[in-house]
Amino acid sequence: MRARKVKGLDPDGPLDENLRRIVLVRLDELHSFVPAVLDPDEQDALHHMRIAAKRLRYILEVAAPLFGPGAERGAKEARKLQDLIGDIHDCDVSLPIVHRHAERLRTEDAAAVRAAAGARAKDVSPALLRDAPNRRRYRGLELLAVHLEARRDVLYARFLEEWARLEREDLRGTVQAALADVGTIRRDG
Amino acid sequence: MAKAREIPGFEHARSFREAAASVVEVRTEEIFSFRAGVLDTGDIERVHDMRVATRRLRAAMEIFAPCFPRRKMFRRALRDVKSLADALGERRDPDVAIAGFERVGRALIAEDRAGIASLVDELRRRQEAGNEALAAKLDQIERDGLRERLLALVAEARAA
Repeated sequence: MRARKVKGLDPDGPLDENLRRIVLVRLDELHSFVPAVLDPDEQDALHHMRIAAKRLRYILEVAAPLFGPGAERGAKEARKLQDLIGDIHDCDVSLPIVHRHAERLRTEDAAAVRAAAGARAKDVSPALLRDAPNRRRYRGLELLAVHLEARRDVLYARFLEEWARLEREDLRGTVQAALADVGTIRRDG
Repeated sequence: MAKAREIPGFEHARSFREAAASVVEVRTEEIFSFRAGVLDTGDIERVHDMRVATRRLRAAMEIFAPCFPRRKMFRRALRDVKSLADALGERRDPDVAIAGFERVGRALIAEDRAGIASLVDELRRRQEAGNEALAAKLDQIERDGLRERLLALVAEARAA
């Protein structure tokens, strides 16, 4: 996901003004994925939101020495969000890996059972399954897939709660206020 | 995970460009400080530290991009930092998956662990392949002088 361009950056201009512009764009970018991420099936939107949280976190970490506790808090919350969505993403990425591995084992076993039946077999005896090389491996993989699915559900429910909390606590407003304060201090000298 | 290094004098930078030079300089040196031992598969934290440092540099370069006058050289350096980040990711991702799957495996009864063990074996092969690719990438960035190019960009930003 490409980052939104930030207009009006001036390399020779004051540091705080430039950082403020970037933070405001990254804040908007993070919020742009709502309401899509409120649908548990929208894996792509959630993944993009994680990247947006990461970009917001990095800019707030850079900006925090200038903008104070509001920006520090924003950086911490962005990091927590990034990590939580990252754990969800790990489940989303891991499940297909587990399924593909099970599929490979099945394919190997089918080939082994076919070979054991012999070149002239007219049918395959189920008894040949007793010697299928991977016969003891499926249950563990299925249990792993069960764990990943259940974990994904729990983590996603946590994400919804965390997002609702950030909205209630108006994190966006807190960060925006922190940016505005520095400007006020500078204007008032 | 290693903490980000402080940027001396950051808050008192007289301009966006001056801050850019300081941040990119410190983040560049940070990456290369993790070079030693990063290919040791017995210590997976070195890869993680270098990967995080690479992400921080990449983020800094994206934030401060307008401050570097030689656009082509900057874009090439950023591309090389991204490709280092990708190689570190390819090496690191199996570590994370193995740790997670082994944790589940330990919670199961012994007779249910075989499938997870076979998956972990496959991931270890990916880990080895990732390590070889990372070794090649590290050799390449040394040959191509990525660190020197980044520091040259910093020097030009300071002089601009």
